[in-house]
Amino acid sequence: MASGRGSRRTTESEATVQYVQLDGLVVLNIIKHCEEVGSELSQGVLLGLLIGNCLEITNCFPFPRNALDDPDFDEMQYQMEMMRHLRYVNIDHLHVGWYQSTFFGGFVSKALMDSQFQYQHSLDESVVLIYDPLKTTQGYLSVKAYRLTPQTMAIYETMDFSPENIKQTKMAFSKIFDEVPVVIKNSHLVNALCLEIEEIGPPTEKYSFLDLATSSVLEKNIKLLMDTVDELSQDSNKFHNHYRQVAKQNQAKQQYVQKRHQENAARTAKGEVALPEEDINKLFKPLLPPSRLDNLLLSGQIKSYCEQINQYSSQGLGKLFFAEGLQDKKQVGTI
Amino acid sequence: MASRFFGAGSSSSEVESSSDEEEQVQKAPGRTFQFSDEEEDTKRIVRSAKDKRFDELETIIKQLRNHKKIKDMSKILESFDELTRAMKKANNVVEKEGMPRFYVRCLVELETFINECWADKDGRKSMSKNNSKSLSTMRQKVRKYNKDFEKDITTYMESPDADVPDEVEGSESEESADEASFSKDVTAKASDFQKAEAEESSDDDFWGSSDESSSSSSTDDEAYGENLAAKFLKKTGPGTEKREKRKREKKELKVRPEEEEVENDGQGEWTVVTPGAGMVRERPKMFTKDQEITVEAVNKKLHEILAARGKKGTDRSEQIELLTELMKISTAHNLGNGMLVKILFSLIMSVYDYNPTVSLCMKPEMWQKLLDLVQDLLQILEGNPAIVINEKVMEELENLESTTEEFRVRGCVLSMIERLDEEFTKMLQACDAHSTEYIDRLKDEKMVCCIIEKLYRYLESRVTSADLCRVYMLRINHMYYKFDYTTIARPADEKAAEKPLEKEAVEKPLEKPLEKEAVEKPLEKPLEKEAEEKPPEKEAEAEGSSGEETKITEDTQQVEVVVDPSVLMDELCKYIYAKDITDRIRTRAILCHIYHHALHNRWFEARDLMMMSHLQDTIQHSDIPIQILYNRTMVQLGLCAFRHASIQDAHNCLLDIQSGGRAKELLAQGLLMQRQQERRPEQEKLEKQRQMPFHMHINLELLECVYLVSAMLLEIPYMAAHEFDPRRRMISKSFHHQLKIAERQTLTGPPESMREHVVAASKAMKVGDWQQCTEYILSDKMNVKVWNLFPETDRVREMIRQRIQEESLRTYLFTYSSVYDSLSLVTLAEQFRMERGLVHSVISKMIINEELMASMDEPSQSVVMHRTEPSRLQSLALQLSEKISILVENNEKLLEIKQGILPGTQRRDGGYQQRGYGGDKWADGGQRNYQGGNRRGGHQQSGGYRNRNQQDGGGGGGGGGGYQRRNQDGGQGYGRRN
Repeated sequence: MASGRGSRRTTESEATVQYVQLDGLVVLNIIKHCEEVGSELSQGVLLGLLIGNCLEITNCFPFPRNALDDPDFDEMQYQMEMMRHLRYVNIDHLHVGWYQSTFFGGFVSKALMDSQFQYQHSLDESVVLIYDPLKTTQGYLSVKAYRLTPQTMAIYETMDFSPENIKQTKMAFSKIFDEVPVVIKNSHLVNALCLEIEEIGPPTEKYSFLDLATSSVLEKNIKLLMDTVDELSQDSNKFHNHYRQVAKQNQAKQQYVQKRHQENAARTAKGEVALPEEDINKLFKPLLPPSRLDNLLLSGQIKSYCEQINQYSSQGLGKLFFAEGLQDKKQVGTI
Repeated sequence: MASRFFGAGSSSSEVESSSDEEEQVQKAPGRTFQFSDEEEDTKRIVRSAKDKRFDELETIIKQLRNHKKIKDMSKILESFDELTRAMKKANNVVEKEGMPRFYVRCLVELETFINECWADKDGRKSMSKNNSKSLSTMRQKVRKYNKDFEKDITTYMESPDADVPDEVEGSESEESADEASFSKDVTAKASDFQKAEAEESSDDDFWGSSDESSSSSSTDDEAYGENLAAKFLKKTGPGTEKREKRKREKKELKVRPEEEEVENDGQGEWTVVTPGAGMVRERPKMFTKDQEITVEAVNKKLHEILAARGKKGTDRSEQIELLTELMKISTAHNLGNGMLVKILFSLIMSVYDYNPTVSLCMKPEMWQKLLDLVQDLLQILEGNPAIVINEKVMEELENLESTTEEFRVRGCVLSMIERLDEEFTKMLQACDAHSTEYIDRLKDEKMVCCIIEKLYRYLESRVTSADLCRVYMLRINHMYYKFDYTTIARPADEKAAEKPLEKEAVEKPLEKPLEKEAVEKPLEKPLEKEAEEKPPEKEAEAEGSSGEETKITEDTQQVEVVVDPSVLMDELCKYIYAKDITDRIRTRAILCHIYHHALHNRWFEARDLMMMSHLQDTIQHSDIPIQILYNRTMVQLGLCAFRHASIQDAHNCLLDIQSGGRAKELLAQGLLMQRQQERRPEQEKLEKQRQMPFHMHINLELLECVYLVSAMLLEIPYMAAHEFDPRRRMISKSFHHQLKIAERQTLTGPPESMREHVVAASKAMKVGDWQQCTEYILSDKMNVKVWNLFPETDRVREMIRQRIQEESLRTYLFTYSSVYDSLSLVTLAEQFRMERGLVHSVISKMIINEELMASMDEPSQSVVMHRTEPSRLQSLALQLSEKISILVENNEKLLEIKQGILPGTQRRDGGYQQRGYGGDKWADGGQRNYQGGNRRGGHQQSGGYRNRNQQDGGGGGGGGGGYQRRNQDGGQGYGRRN
């Protein structure tokens, strides 16, 4: 433990967290929380410890649901309180991040970035766990840990999302988040218990991951993807318009300068004093370039959707081939 | 003179006694002052055309006299100038009326006054410089001015109005003027100028008499006390005081002034006057006892009364009374129908005038009176075909007397009755549609119709076709919206056979008196029943009316020509189509005709007429009442189409009215609350005037329901067919709006309102559940609310059921065809409770229209699906690819900017060149890549290929990579060139 503390102070920021080790308890807790909340967004706090470059998450607790409705509710207060209580029962009480549920992977948003930035800003090793309850019902446990990349952190700190800055820092949508591998680890006792339960209890009746009806999930995904693509094209339209305006302004500027130039030439020819060169920027106020943050986020979101669809359909294809094979055999068998 | 006073008293009491019938309190004060001398009063009434001008003159003269009294020469000069100016203004009145005597008198007086002043040398010396200067200018001016009036002055000098000393004269008129102004205050409230005049004159009179009797103010009190309404006392207070004060000041003898035109002043209370002047000396008497009453005299009298018409101060009710009186006199003296008609005419006109503003409706009593009068008039006219009424008859050419020739009277019965019709509508608009009052009023419609009928018969042979068109239009207006219940009883084929027969019936009318009731008031049947239940109350409140009503019903029974209204309508409208020259009446007639057709379920006639008229193109240019009628007609047409199961047509007809949510306003059935801006009051007034009377309303809920049901029948299958079509358009916005509202609700209970029913039905239809759908649409609630309003309820319901079955079948096939490989027709027919043939035809139609990718398999009686439609996922993917290509396009545009190709401004001048440049570059880039590929080997070459493909705008899938590469190429190309 002591070494962990030490490492926490000394580790460099780049390699802070190599992987995340989740306790089974945390996973179950998160699942339970999301089940309770239903279709709403659920969020909570992760507790744990950074050991070397492994972030151990050993416990978590949810944020109360109707916190936003109650104006007197102090979130910080609640968190501190919660952690103190947990400390009394000798549980890790160090804040190491937070978790959030998501549906169909549509989690990339400004809000998420904001809060993750806050976390990472104050606690360097913070991660955000994204949990997809829908996928879990389909039979795949989907827990992913993300961190903002140092680049994002740097840009976010300045809040400068102008096209130039993005270009300079070589920011791209693929570089917003770092996905941190997640390892779920149970204590030996728990493993032993699981084995025992398996022996005692009957096996689960159905494996829904063999479900062949893939189209509805895909449809939903494609619909979402479509919406995002729409938004993105709107955004690029906006950007386009901005450039048009800039171009127009530039032209106007040039015309102005040229005119002034000619005038001055005429004046000097006449022997008069040339007109002073004025600050063009005063005459033509530079247009404010639109923020590229939306663009980045939307692209990131699209990427996430695409990955999901890819993953899902490759699995689905596998399943279909698998089923086909079985079908053939059966037919052969009947004949 | 004392006797005069007495006489005054007595006559005034006479006035009072005669004016017992429901006299308004406000009128009383005016009356009480009407002492004996009413010459002036009468005279002024008669001259009231020039009142304004002469009043002006008089005021100035009064001022002039005041100034004269204090010998303020400069002021006198001013007033004199003013006077001449006013005279100039009054010139044309003067030309007509002759030189007003008071004016001449004033001039004479002024001249003498100035001469006097001039003669008075001492006085002249003591005058201020200003004054003396004015005096001399005055003298010249007056002399010069008076030259113009020399003749008048000399005539006046010959017989001056009794030699009254200047000063007295002056003070008198001063007084009178003063009173005039005072009385104006009073009249402002009483709104009666005439009374003011009367008051003034009586006041003068009063002063004269009180002076004569040298009584103090106590006499005043006494005199007032005698017949003054308590109310008036307050107002008189200051006036009397003032007058008293002045009296004291002057302490001069006041002689009863001379009235200009009355020759014999104040000798006795009754002056024998020429008919022109003193006829209404006492109103009830009209003519003096010994006067011979001739047509001429009455006519003159009539003119006198009418001259006051429309004047600000004229008491309109008094006018009516006067005219009634005159009419009595003329009938009593048997002056002939010509006179009677003329007086009746004026009387009716003054009844119309009774209301001060056009927008207000008449009082019920007035209305009754009007109806009676018009009936009388028409009766007379009918009885005496020799009377010619025409607005082209000049007044001078009127012949009221001679019995040898035909009577000629100026006037227009038609416009009079049109006005009557308008008034009737106004009255209906004004009363609450749910009150018994409304029913009472509505009963008069029978009378109005009857009057119009009579008018028609009277005018039929007399007037031009254009006028006859107007009469027809009036009849049509009262007919077109009434439903003839007999048409239902008669089956359609029989009706067709009957048609020629009925044509004959028109020619020799009076065939089916039994039908009359239905024709007259089919729509108001329930109302009427209700009304008949409580006649006793009504009789109590209007004693006269019941008698008249019976009389009129008798009339109607005699007169009523009853034919099949649709035939009649046809007849009337066709006449108008043929003969009308004003476009307006024809348009109205067409619309009414269509309305009538549609109302009676003659869909094809109605539709064809609407199509042929081409009204849709021009209607927005016509005036608002016609537009309203157009809207009403369209609605009726839509309802008719719905009854005929032409759902598409019904929907189209109703769409315009229903889409804005302003049906109420468009049909003029009530004002809508306006959210954004307040209505201006005059605008509101206008809109109120346009409102339809309640009994002509079209049920809005029925309208909306029919619209929504048609929208449902069209929209639901359409939605099912085009589920994935990105370019799908809504057929009916408001229907979608309803659906959306329903979707937003978290909890949907059983439907309550009509809209909820339709929405619930639509939901059932969406999944092809026709039974549920019909249950919702034809539920009891809906029956009560909507369907029972149709005349042939059962037929309509049956139609709706069929349509729902069909459309549900279509929806079902659209929605679930992808699930089936084949469908048995028999099962489908069973499922939708339709005949197999019908199912077959519906499906065949769908296949022919390429709505359903399937084919019929006759031997097995089934539909075989082709399954060529893309699956849901596939169509979604297609959509996605489309969207992505848009995105790529956008990005390309951005790239262009990066390369310096500026859209818009630059493109104009250097655009072409740069474009070429760019194109060159592209080619270059592609080439280079190709080469590069060649150099690097096959693998890369394929990359190059892909690039090319991208450039051709193909596939969006791998767009990212291809795009980037292209980007680089472009960039490099650009760089190199630079």
